Amino acid sequence: MPTFACEQCGAHLAFDGVRTARCPYCASPSVVERQPSAEQPDPRFVVVFAGDAMGARRSLQHWLRSRHWFADPALRAARIEDLRGIYVPAYLYSAVAHADYTASIAEHYHEQEKRKRKDGTSETRTVTRTEYRPLAGRHVSYVTDVVVSASRGLSHGELAGIEPFDFRQMRRYNPVLVSGWIAEEFARPLDECRVASQREALEEVGARLRRFMPGDGFSDLDWRAEIVWESLDPVLVPVWMFAVRYRGDRPPLRVAINGQTGEIAGKVPVSWPRIIAALVVLAAIGLAIFWWWRTAP
Amino acid sequence: MIDCARCATPLEEGDLRCAVCALSVPDDVIPAVGERARVLRCTSCGAAIEFDPAHQAPACAFCRSVMAIEQPHDPIETARAYVPFLVERDVATSAARSWLRTRSWFAPATLHDEAVLESLTPVWWAAWIVDARAQVTWTADSDHGARRSAWAPHAGEVSLTFDRIVVPASRGLSPKETAQLVPFYDLGHAAPVDGTVIQVESFDAQRSAARAIIHAAIADRAQTAVEESIPGHRFRNVSVACLVERLTTDRVALPAWLLVYRFRGAAYRAIVHGQHPAVVVGRAPIDWGKVGRLAAVLLAIAALIALIVYWGRVDS
Repeated sequence: MPTFACEQCGAHLAFDGVRTARCPYCASPSVVERQPSAEQPDPRFVVVFAGDAMGARRSLQHWLRSRHWFADPALRAARIEDLRGIYVPAYLYSAVAHADYTASIAEHYHEQEKRKRKDGTSETRTVTRTEYRPLAGRHVSYVTDVVVSASRGLSHGELAGIEPFDFRQMRRYNPVLVSGWIAEEFARPLDECRVASQREALEEVGARLRRFMPGDGFSDLDWRAEIVWESLDPVLVPVWMFAVRYRGDRPPLRVAINGQTGEIAGKVPVSWPRIIAALVVLAAIGLAIFWWWRTAP
Repeated sequence: MIDCARCATPLEEGDLRCAVCALSVPDDVIPAVGERARVLRCTSCGAAIEFDPAHQAPACAFCRSVMAIEQPHDPIETARAYVPFLVERDVATSAARSWLRTRSWFAPATLHDEAVLESLTPVWWAAWIVDARAQVTWTADSDHGARRSAWAPHAGEVSLTFDRIVVPASRGLSPKETAQLVPFYDLGHAAPVDGTVIQVESFDAQRSAARAIIHAAIADRAQTAVEESIPGHRFRNVSVACLVERLTTDRVALPAWLLVYRFRGAAYRAIVHGQHPAVVVGRAPIDWGKVGRLAAVLLAIAALIALIVYWGRVDS
């Protein structure tokens, strides 16, 4: 674990997976400066926090109160215990995707069909039928603004929950932008993040291809994409992390808030008594209807 | 000014990424010498400073000074060139008058005599002039090669060049109005806006937002442009996917006379082209009495036909 002396008072500061620290003796905020390496690159860009902790706390309180009916009722009265503004390391990915695809395109047509009725007379009616035609072609596009988490603390899924970030507002990295905040070091290897980015880019290409298909429908879409001109930039994105204690015997609920847009994501614990109560009420209504139907004349 | 390495679009000063393909702009990083933990200090009082979201900059908690740092460079765009007026005020006035005289049959008959020209203001409305190349892949259904269904799927690829297309940036004029005005401007004779005191409508969009609008406009044009490559006579479900390259934009101000006239208490607007007085677009009042009478006559004719048909049936 790298340790550095505090510039203000000389105390030893431990930087465990972070590039910023606050000295416990003199409260001075420090930022690590060092030669960037492949394992620990310097961030290139920073999306800065747009609001302060009070605002984040207020929107979290509002969010906790406005959860669905099945959420644990203890959440409404929960204590917001721990709040941290963290610059989460991530990679911002963009690339050019060339995809070759083949598919069966459904085209509808109408046909007159004669049918014999039971009484021997016949009727004609129009039925819609489908013919499948093969189609092969290419699809080219830029895939931009793919973000993958390079943090050990915040998983890729959790980060995806609070996306998007407006990268038009980002800035070049400067240590003063993270001074006084927690800035996590890049913890996931670049190659792992590249693979995750490629996977996400390919998913995006697949979604675009499904919208790209003509006809009244399609089946057997098969495609292969070649990704060229990749770029991966290390960025820091702002995230408020909250630990919410709502019951003494349960682990605290983890909630992440997008520090730029205020988007909130967290897995809300459900209340089993409420779900059972709802089921009982539903069953009672069902039984009541059944009973009424049986006894009605 | 350098070009983006990936899509050859010229980059503008302050760009961190290419606005078209999102490739980051290379910058010269001065590597840190040695390893240390630094306390960043306020330049005026020497206290440690922290980033303050309220100021969007590092601020000192003691002397309240805010450190000036590089801010995201996203200026509101302004016109760089303007196309001069070729229509004088009196010509515009008479063009407006004759336009009022030649309105459709539905306009009130007394429109020309009763309309009061309230104001005629010269305006320069904002537009982008865009050059770009695009590699476009498309899919569509067309009647070519159709079998049992009226439609058969087709796909293709085409390279398109967009040469000086005008993308309106005006909030004041509607897309319909600008579409009618655009073909009649002589863009070859634009003069640079420097020191010229003209009232140019502001672009109302920051640079980054502007690029998004332009990019969307290009995709929109591509959608119409690929129609030529689709085989057959009829088509539907046209989709395009494109790689835009070498996108350059110029910001211009285009001249027009904005006419406001009053007819029976209500205000109406029309626009006289700043270079061709014959081009006037706008809205004229509708005489609902006339519309009602026409509808009544049409109904009467329909009723008469129905009656004749009915009588014919009864007789036979």
